[in-house]
Amino acid sequence: MVPLIKIEKRNDVPMALYFFTPFIAIILTILGGGIIFYILGFNPIEALKFYFITPISNLYGLSELLLKATPLCLIAIGLSFCFKSNNWNIGAEGQLTFGAIVGGGVALLFYNQEGFYILPLVILAGAIGGMIFALIPAILKTYFNTNEILVSLMLVYVSKLLLDYLVVGPWSNPEGFNFPETRQFSDSSRMPLLFEGLRIHAGIFLALAAVMLSWFILYKTYLGFQIKVSGLSLKTAKYAGFKGKTMILVVFMISGACAGLAGVGEITGPIGQLHRMISPDYGFTAIIVAFLGRLNPFGIIFASLVVALTYLGAETAQIFLQIPKYTGQVFQGMILFFLLASDYLLFFKVKILNLKKNELRH
Amino acid sequence: MATDLRISNISKIYPGCVANDNVSLQFKSGKIYALLGENGAGKSTLVKILSGVISPDNGEVFLNKKNLKLSSPLDAKKNKIGMVFQHFNLFETLSVFENLSIDATEDNKSLRVRINEILKKYNFSINLDVPVLNLSAGQKQKVEIIRCLLRSPKVLIMDEPTSVLTEQETEELFISLKKFCDEGILIIYITHKLKEVLSLCDEVAVMRKGKVVSVSQTQNEKVETLANKMVGQKLAKIKKKINISKNKDEIFKVKHLNFYSDDPFETNLVNLNFSVKKGECLGIAGISGNGQNELFQILSGEIITPDTSIIFRNKEIAKLNPKQRREYLMAFSPEDRISQAAVPELKIYENVALNNFKSSNFFEKGLVNERKIKEHSKKILSDFSVNTDNVELKSQFLSGGNLQKLILGRELITAPELLICYNPTWGLDVGAINYIHETLIKINDQEKSTILISTDTEELLKLSDRIAVIYKGKLSKIMPSEEVTPEKLGVLMGGGSID
Repeated sequence: MVPLIKIEKRNDVPMALYFFTPFIAIILTILGGGIIFYILGFNPIEALKFYFITPISNLYGLSELLLKATPLCLIAIGLSFCFKSNNWNIGAEGQLTFGAIVGGGVALLFYNQEGFYILPLVILAGAIGGMIFALIPAILKTYFNTNEILVSLMLVYVSKLLLDYLVVGPWSNPEGFNFPETRQFSDSSRMPLLFEGLRIHAGIFLALAAVMLSWFILYKTYLGFQIKVSGLSLKTAKYAGFKGKTMILVVFMISGACAGLAGVGEITGPIGQLHRMISPDYGFTAIIVAFLGRLNPFGIIFASLVVALTYLGAETAQIFLQIPKYTGQVFQGMILFFLLASDYLLFFKVKILNLKKNELRH
Repeated sequence: MATDLRISNISKIYPGCVANDNVSLQFKSGKIYALLGENGAGKSTLVKILSGVISPDNGEVFLNKKNLKLSSPLDAKKNKIGMVFQHFNLFETLSVFENLSIDATEDNKSLRVRINEILKKYNFSINLDVPVLNLSAGQKQKVEIIRCLLRSPKVLIMDEPTSVLTEQETEELFISLKKFCDEGILIIYITHKLKEVLSLCDEVAVMRKGKVVSVSQTQNEKVETLANKMVGQKLAKIKKKINISKNKDEIFKVKHLNFYSDDPFETNLVNLNFSVKKGECLGIAGISGNGQNELFQILSGEIITPDTSIIFRNKEIAKLNPKQRREYLMAFSPEDRISQAAVPELKIYENVALNNFKSSNFFEKGLVNERKIKEHSKKILSDFSVNTDNVELKSQFLSGGNLQKLILGRELITAPELLICYNPTWGLDVGAINYIHETLIKINDQEKSTILISTDTEELLKLSDRIAVIYKGKLSKIMPSEEVTPEKLGVLMGGGSID
């Protein structure tokens, strides 16, 4: 007998199930994590508790969760505009970095000044920085037919190297004993903290505003309608006469601005200066967040919290279980893997046909 | 040996639709059988059951008294049931021989010998070593037929085989089919073209709404009687009164239309010049793949060509995109109604919003005016007798005919001065075709113009005032339609020349 696998498209995929599969993916990820811990010789229940419960069992932990979810949510909201319209912006990490460079540059200009106007300027500069950096792949795509996946991805390294150069070179702190970092920003360039003693800052309101605004744009405006149609059928968008090039530029600008805001939120929030490691790959992880949230603004809030927890869990696990914090990436990878796998099974059914050997050739 | 195929009490139910309702039919070799029916009548379901693609909920298939278990296409092949689909399953970049050898069981040498025997026997002229993409549609179909013949089939099912063929190619096909029939192959011919049934087949089974409504000898039938059986009601005959007047204004004028593409699957257009008068229908005939796609996209503004001049109502519009052209009162109905003219996943009212003309106020100051769009959609649904009043329905749940009515309604609600449509009735049933044809005639009666690009010669002769033929990207001279006969069109469409 030769098993023959046949894959068929399902005709009716219930919407309820479509929004439910992310939960299945999360459950499978936790199970998978348990198995990995078991193989590593830990008690899986105990280890998972350290990973998913301990980090958020106190107020400080919850604040850290929101702190990490904020950039993820902001970036994923921006990415949802691109992904919904079939534009594959993979370079949010670069746009985040460039936004942080521009915003940080402005903050450094005012390093020894105080004033209520400084923080808005810094934020605005960060958004514009991200926007400009996202425009590069967009313009190259619309006018020179380049592939935006490659261009946006490679620009990540450009901006990271630029940041490296700036913090060791021209922008390095003159009183910093040659450490690769800039001066501390002045208090006027820092995001106000929400609670004394916790790191959670006003950037979270930016993220929430982005959620509301993106919901409004995507579902209530002509731009949102064009994005939806282009995502479903480029042929139809062309036939309807939508200005395809303008739309590509706009979605990249939105996406870049959001990533830039996330970058500026990090440096004016918890970090307070520019140095080499301003983001633990939030820009890449946000891609997972966007898809786990089904590109839906409210789904993205939920997804950003889940994924933020994997960052926290990894840190706790490093402390209590002495395993590297990169296990966080393992969990993020598993989430994406299980999400894609359950989506595949959602949209296709797999049939196994058993055939006798000679039947194959007739 | 004679073949006897019997279908007994086949039923297949899909959610919300009975595709086959207790269908029983009997076929014997030596005759050509027609299976006739509108779209959605259940022909395709029945054929898919016979070829093992889907399994019935109920009922059995007997071949020479043997109960067949057809749970996959392999089972159909094994039982010598051959199938030629409307869309070819060939690898374009492989040669004819490579395509045929893919699923062959013998070595290449003896395969080639057998193929040559078939070519000789049926007088097919096909070069086995050229890539399939260089073949005409008729030749590709022959490759598919050869593939079936190599397995010495007992039953050969042809699904809408002439939709891509010229008149001449159709005739050749019919001659071959008759030969196969004489050799004892049982032939089941699926179509909705009534004339073909009458000229080719011996017996005809008519299906409607999943049921077999009549089985009869074709010699006792006429086009009208078959059409009535198929639709289930009497059809009003429509004929257009020719609308030629020499001194009417030219409303639309195309000059030096050239298009060059590097893509081997696109056709280059060479210096097309034509004009359309007020109230006139200009028909453009041709076999699909001769540049109609490219022509439609250039006329609609999806493709902008550099040196072309397009004058519409005394304005140069060659550089405008489709939305801007709509503002000048042009409207477009593309060939691909399922995935280009509409998005299947979108609701009806969202699909209506795709034609966002200025006075519609669908999007005021960039915001969606859902109430307005829905109101407008309701009006289209009732004015164009689309068979639902639920504007929230996703358009994928509309049948082909209803979807086309929705699209035409959407395009016509702006009262355009010129409608450009490409195969507006392709794959539709007789009732819907009639409705669309009446609508198109009404447009001309109201002194509005149409350009009808179509591969259906009958439709062109019925609706056009003047006709030109496009062949390999070149346009023939434009002829008044009363001087045109189907034969003349056939010759021009096949690349020949007349007079």
